[in-house]
Amino acid sequence: MSEKISLSDFITSFNENHGKIVESVEVFEDTRASIKAKKRNVVKAAKVLRDEYGFVIPIGGGAIDYPEEKKMEMNYYLNNPDSDFIIVYRVELSRTRPTLPSLTEVWEAMSFHERETHEMFGINFKDHPNLVPLLLPPDWKGGYPLRKDFKGEGKR
Amino acid sequence: MSEPKIESDIMRISWGPQHPMSGQTRILLDTDGEKVHRIIADLGFTHRGIEKVLENRTILGGIIPIDRMAMVDTANISIGYVTAAEKALGIEVPERAQWIRSLVCEMSRINSHLYAFGLQAEATGYFPAVFIWTTVDREVLLDLFEELTGARWSFNHFLPGGVHKDFTEGFSDKIIEAVHYLRNRFKDYWTAMVENPMFEMRCDGVAILEPKDALRLGATGPVIRGSGIPIDMRNEEPYAAYGDLDWEIITEDACDVMARTKVRFHEIGQSLNMMEQIAKEIPEGEIKTRFSPFARAPEGEHISRVENGRGEMATHIWTNGTTNPYRVKILPPSLRNMYVFERLAELSHITVADIPVVINSIDPWYLDSDR
Repeated sequence: MSEKISLSDFITSFNENHGKIVESVEVFEDTRASIKAKKRNVVKAAKVLRDEYGFVIPIGGGAIDYPEEKKMEMNYYLNNPDSDFIIVYRVELSRTRPTLPSLTEVWEAMSFHERETHEMFGINFKDHPNLVPLLLPPDWKGGYPLRKDFKGEGKR
Repeated sequence: MSEPKIESDIMRISWGPQHPMSGQTRILLDTDGEKVHRIIADLGFTHRGIEKVLENRTILGGIIPIDRMAMVDTANISIGYVTAAEKALGIEVPERAQWIRSLVCEMSRINSHLYAFGLQAEATGYFPAVFIWTTVDREVLLDLFEELTGARWSFNHFLPGGVHKDFTEGFSDKIIEAVHYLRNRFKDYWTAMVENPMFEMRCDGVAILEPKDALRLGATGPVIRGSGIPIDMRNEEPYAAYGDLDWEIITEDACDVMARTKVRFHEIGQSLNMMEQIAKEIPEGEIKTRFSPFARAPEGEHISRVENGRGEMATHIWTNGTTNPYRVKILPPSLRNMYVFERLAELSHITVADIPVVINSIDPWYLDSDR
């Protein structure tokens, strides 16, 4: 196997060539980088990551809720088979109407993870081919379980 | 799950969750004659909301529910959470504890692969005896677990900062004895099953997953290594004692059901070698770093990646200065492999009779895909 791409090389190259289409690029552990997307360029930057930097392996996706700051964050975890680090591709969303374009057209396998996030957080993924609940029962009306203000059974 | 519309000339078969080969899931098969056109997985039968449960417990308390995520492979699941928690709390782990962790993880991996192997034998329909053999041979490992940790299943042996218990007297010899016994048994498995023409007939060339598709669809663990791509978290990001142990990544190039079965088979061999090495070379010293059960983790986020029996598991933990984690996101291997399984019907020719063999070659464990 060829020489692995290092995290610092990736960050320098990405900032130089595509720094403008994303909000920020950070390193948060030795082998993790976090790329915060601009909302209008979500799909464009994702395609750059996949096609130019080889992040072809979708590890998964999930969201986190910040009720005090009235925001949510969708995270996509990506791996490149030739790198020794992973990246977290982030999109910040408003908590009242969380919507973002589905990234299934870039990484097909994000389908399950987006479906799960949809039912657990109420995030709406536009153009997702099949946005039906993954884990919860089809008649579930109890709210969004992984949001911080979810109270659980009996306190709906 | 609400069922999608059925196209004309297609018969839909609902397979599971009560089918002996399905596990705790339901799979919809759209078939035209014998050929399966489309697979739709209906997950969630064992959803327990473990991610939410973890938010309401202290970081140390989280080791109890996390163990329930996959009973057959508990050690490999809990080490993911525990390493992430250690990063968050900033605790160092003594070397001896790292070696004990590797030992328990490898025993757990053999346990998991043996179960997969037994089910694979059962799924082909010809070898019910092999399933009984694997069940009996797992006893050897369960006895070792019992002696080391005090429990046979879900032993909660790992905690942030180390492990609960040290080797008992003469434990190293017992490991070596078990390794010798299992090595002999695997010779029988190989001749009775893998080299058997009947088994080859069922498994050779079935459900081919090309390397490029394996990458694109996010396959992991024995599934991606069965497609010839050497990705293993123990090598990518060595945790526990894997950096000091001698082992190699197993890959097979055939990309079919047989390749995935052989990967598991050879991985058991590697695990046995590691067990022997650990029993002989384990360093002396402390087994845990003490810390307060109500330790507060400073604000931050940390990701750990570990190799389960079924593939890569990533655990993302966010902390905010309190005793509980703010959020824990678990990215389980079975969910990724389940997506691969859904797509397999489009990528290769699968018949209804192949389904049990194919699903057991993917080896999903619904307790961890549902969490």
